Amino acid sequence: MLCVHCKAVQPSDPRADYFRVFGIPTAFAVDATELEQRYKELTKVLHPDRFARADPLARRASLERSVQLNEAWQVLKDPVRRAEYLLSLSGIDVGEMSGVGRPGQSGEHATLPVPQVLLMEVLELREALAEAHASKDLTEAEALIAKVRDRLGIVMADVAKGFLASPPELSTIAARLVTVRYYRRFLDEARTLWEEDTPVPKGRGGDAG
Amino acid sequence: MPVEALFSISEPGQSQVKQDCKGRAVGIDLGTTNSLVAVVQAGQPLCLRDGGSALLPSVVHYASDGSVVVGQRARELALAAPQDTIASVKRFMGRGPGDAEATRELTSYRFAPSDPGDPIVRFAVAGGARAVTPMEVSADILRVLKARAEAELGGELDGVVITVPAYFDDGQRQATRDAGRLAGLEVMRLLNEPTAAALAYGLDKQAEGTFAVFDLGGGTFDISILKLEGGVFEVKSTGGDSALGGDDFDRAVAGHILRAMGLPSDAGGDAGVARAVLDAARVAKEALTTETTTAFSVGLPNGKSRTGQLSRAELDALVRPVLDRCGPPVRRAIRDAGLAADQLSGVILVGGATRMPIVRSFVAELFGKQPLADIDPDEVVALGAAVQADLLASGGRSDVVLMDVVPLSLGLEMMGGVAEKLIHRNTTVPCGAVQTFTTYADNQTGFDLHVVQGERELVADCRSLARFKLGGIPPAPAGMARLKVTFTVDADGILSVSAREEYTGKEASIRVKPSYGLTDDEVERMIRDSFDHADDDMGARLLTVERVEAERILGATRVALLASADLLVEGEREAIEAGIVGLESAKAGTNHLAIRGAIQSLDEVSKEFARRRMNAALEQNVRGQSLDTVEKKVTSQ
Repeated sequence: MLCVHCKAVQPSDPRADYFRVFGIPTAFAVDATELEQRYKELTKVLHPDRFARADPLARRASLERSVQLNEAWQVLKDPVRRAEYLLSLSGIDVGEMSGVGRPGQSGEHATLPVPQVLLMEVLELREALAEAHASKDLTEAEALIAKVRDRLGIVMADVAKGFLASPPELSTIAARLVTVRYYRRFLDEARTLWEEDTPVPKGRGGDAG
Repeated sequence: MPVEALFSISEPGQSQVKQDCKGRAVGIDLGTTNSLVAVVQAGQPLCLRDGGSALLPSVVHYASDGSVVVGQRARELALAAPQDTIASVKRFMGRGPGDAEATRELTSYRFAPSDPGDPIVRFAVAGGARAVTPMEVSADILRVLKARAEAELGGELDGVVITVPAYFDDGQRQATRDAGRLAGLEVMRLLNEPTAAALAYGLDKQAEGTFAVFDLGGGTFDISILKLEGGVFEVKSTGGDSALGGDDFDRAVAGHILRAMGLPSDAGGDAGVARAVLDAARVAKEALTTETTTAFSVGLPNGKSRTGQLSRAELDALVRPVLDRCGPPVRRAIRDAGLAADQLSGVILVGGATRMPIVRSFVAELFGKQPLADIDPDEVVALGAAVQADLLASGGRSDVVLMDVVPLSLGLEMMGGVAEKLIHRNTTVPCGAVQTFTTYADNQTGFDLHVVQGERELVADCRSLARFKLGGIPPAPAGMARLKVTFTVDADGILSVSAREEYTGKEASIRVKPSYGLTDDEVERMIRDSFDHADDDMGARLLTVERVEAERILGATRVALLASADLLVEGEREAIEAGIVGLESAKAGTNHLAIRGAIQSLDEVSKEFARRRMNAALEQNVRGQSLDTVEKKVTSQ
């Protein structure tokens, strides 16, 4: 990453995958503490502030590498995004929920089917949440959040197990990640409503996903 | 540049005469009420003083004879010449004539008439003979600090870091940069104020852990959550209100005084009375930091004066509603950092307003812990700015790095006026995002790109940053072109956008230089609204998106049926027409899921036909390459 002779940042390789950016094996299992430490070490070396007075080429290289590093960090630190990323490396796109400017118009991305039973489950959860919100029932909202977080934990444990299998059970993992996406969106919304109803500032605590 | 140079500067306070000495990089806190300049000497940041005081009141007086007075003397002149004396200019930075600041009541300013569409507000000063912009007024303050630093350091400055509220939008940042340029300064970086404060704390107190910086200045409120660990200063999240500060406390107290005097809340439009009452309010507020009751005296322009009493309890009751507005941004910042309030190691107080007992008890209540104020809250931001200036100019310390974030989301306008966020707020800079878009209409030969900033789902509610075009795309069926848009935000927070059409290789790019005052929407209102309307917005957005999509598909399908009837196979037309009818009826309803379903059905029955059509079109446009090879090219990017 740094040239050993001149300590200059080398231009980034656009094909380098995020694991290589961190110099760690391409695997789902990641030591979170180690990853964060590595991130900060690399940042100290690559950050554009270190090159504020350097030549344009070095500044450009530092910017590119830092952007890539930050991108890689965003993805790898989050188990869900890490799993999605690993699938994408194997050519499986779990897809985004965004729905606009879809790049997939001509069928490059196959949208994974959403099981009816999952839709029903989320629908019920949402109804329960709406009720708790309407009646300002914080205990109920917290219970719902805890319940979904538990379920999310179980599904993510499945994902981890899927990656450990040999060969990895990619299609099972992909299906689990669809479920995760629904759970996460539910949790996001639940927390927003819950915070609205909470008089003193309280955070959201640790994420299961 | 030799690192040693910076540390070879003379003893603190002693003037430096060596002209070849490098490393004169300073940090400037360009505050609403006061401004300061600081420098790192012998590894320690310190504020430069003039006659014992580090604080330069951010007040500029423009006399009729053309002279300009800055600082304490200008503040004294404000009473006699309120319209020619600009205080709190920071509140007008990057603002237009229609903005809230320029139109609020109880103001002592006179604004110069502006042309319609003029994006910059101007003050009429020097007896109305001169019109100055907020950037010019700020530049006059900066010139005084520059002179102070040059006198102290003995030579021209190398470069400066100027602090801005974390919550300043691009227009406000650009205006600050322009002010620096007008003052003849090389602005190396605009640094967020809470980040600067944390930098000063982290280095001086060797603080480690996750801290909240509660920064309540004269005109702005900022909240940032930072993690300090092993020399790495990582901003986790930031938020605030760029129009909330000690000035608002003064106004609340002034309103009370006016009521007590039996005067209307806008002081009858008398600028002299307004100034006098605001001054009395400020003095009373400051006195009540240590006293429990104080006498105030309003010196009226006619030479008379009115007196009265104010107790701390009364003051608290007056400012509490203003203070309460700090609650929601704090909550949001903690949430964005992925934390709970009890996971914070401490709360750092910044800004003169945090000296008030009610502010301290409010913070203690909000965070559930006593706040820290070990470093003078007036000086801490300038000290941190000096540290960053030193880091940038010398590359001196390899053990410290600062990682800041994007304060507001950045995105593009999509069909139907929907904003698609490419970079979300609180993403660490530098950062980038790439997204691929496609054409909406058949034979569309160009893309109009509209770059926006804000948290709301609809473009109309966000701030417009830039527009540019990418043209020269060969005519093809809708959905054929592949536009790859790249956003890059550098360590300075400046956004660059580039776009490339993948088939033709056409490119266009822009470095976003926003024109200020494009909208009078205040950023914080945008965010607040995005939370208040999250549900409506999402529903409206999904429906808009699906309807636009339906419209696109319907149009494209109809055109295709007309233009390429020869490519249809038996029974295909009937199936497609049935799909069209189904989608038409779904589109008339308000259920976005139904529309989505109908789109998928139509897609399904027309898929093969579309494929044959694309191949035919490609044969004309891409010289006989088959769709397969072109697709490979796209996906390999």
